Amino acid sequence: MNDLANLPHVQFSGQQASSPQPLSPHKDPHVIACANEVLSGFADLCRSLHHATILTDDGFEVASLADDVRQNGRVASMASSMQALGDAVAKDLRIGATEYIIIAATTGYVIQMRVPDNSMVLAAHFDAAETVGKALSVARLVATNMRTLISSEAA
Amino acid sequence: MTEHVILFAGPMGAGKTTAIESLSEIETIRTEAINTDRETADKDTTTVALDYGEITVGDEDKVRLYGLPGQRRFDFMWTILNERAVGLVLLVNNDAADPIKDLDEFLEEFGELHEKGGIVVCVTRTDVAPIPRIDKYAERVRELMPGRMIPVFTADARNSDQMRTCLMSLIANIEMTAMIAASEERAA
Repeated sequence: MNDLANLPHVQFSGQQASSPQPLSPHKDPHVIACANEVLSGFADLCRSLHHATILTDDGFEVASLADDVRQNGRVASMASSMQALGDAVAKDLRIGATEYIIIAATTGYVIQMRVPDNSMVLAAHFDAAETVGKALSVARLVATNMRTLISSEAA
Repeated sequence: MTEHVILFAGPMGAGKTTAIESLSEIETIRTEAINTDRETADKDTTTVALDYGEITVGDEDKVRLYGLPGQRRFDFMWTILNERAVGLVLLVNNDAADPIKDLDEFLEEFGELHEKGGIVVCVTRTDVAPIPRIDKYAERVRELMPGRMIPVFTADARNSDQMRTCLMSLIANIEMTAMIAASEERAA
């Protein structure tokens, strides 16, 4: 159902006009540095944040707040699948583009959303102490900061 | 009305999404993302959750076709979908670095589906890479799963007739397995 033209455009900070194979975001040191910077700011903004990962649309971890490498990779893969399933449902129901996905559980919830204009996703796990509204607004701010930071690095 | 859930598994680039697209009577559901792993497969997009299509067999038997992501990092999707499945179309692209090893890995992962219903192996992209020949695959299947009837085909995932032949062979095996199980139950 997804045409290539409908997928978010990839924007790589290290991309050169003459380079046929630009670095993937999860291998691009500039993108990784930007992701680490915005994620550390995320933790300062929101005490109830348990874990956050920035991942590529196809499920590779770019950066995470937690040190558990195996878990970070797994979260990245699952968030990628969730994002794609959300997109598929939204497209099938003809309700426009997916803005965010929320998984609400007994003791916490997960919010994920795309980094605007990039083929990357922010996935964040909060405990139940946070209100969904605040978590959502902070996550949106972080995703937007990521885009701004990459754009300024690239420029 | 009988329903069969069939998985399409195999390495990235084997043609799973294309095969389901070729077979499905409904508009397929696809979950593709831009592929950033060009070293593994040089293609624009890759499936990150599932593909879904449907086909009717006979008068009213519905076959649900689920394509799995090829990369092991999505193995949680393999587990979720494997629980519902009764059969497997295992696609292996002949132009992979080591397609027989791919066959080994996916048969090891999904081999139990033979007991639930059946498995067929479809070797794709033989027009691009003529070797290994199909008998190598058949030989390896016999070594890995001795005594099991697992047909091996070459097929073009874009060709609906060829994919339909593979699928019908699998459905026949699944129905035979179900009949044998039913007769064994009656005899017991």
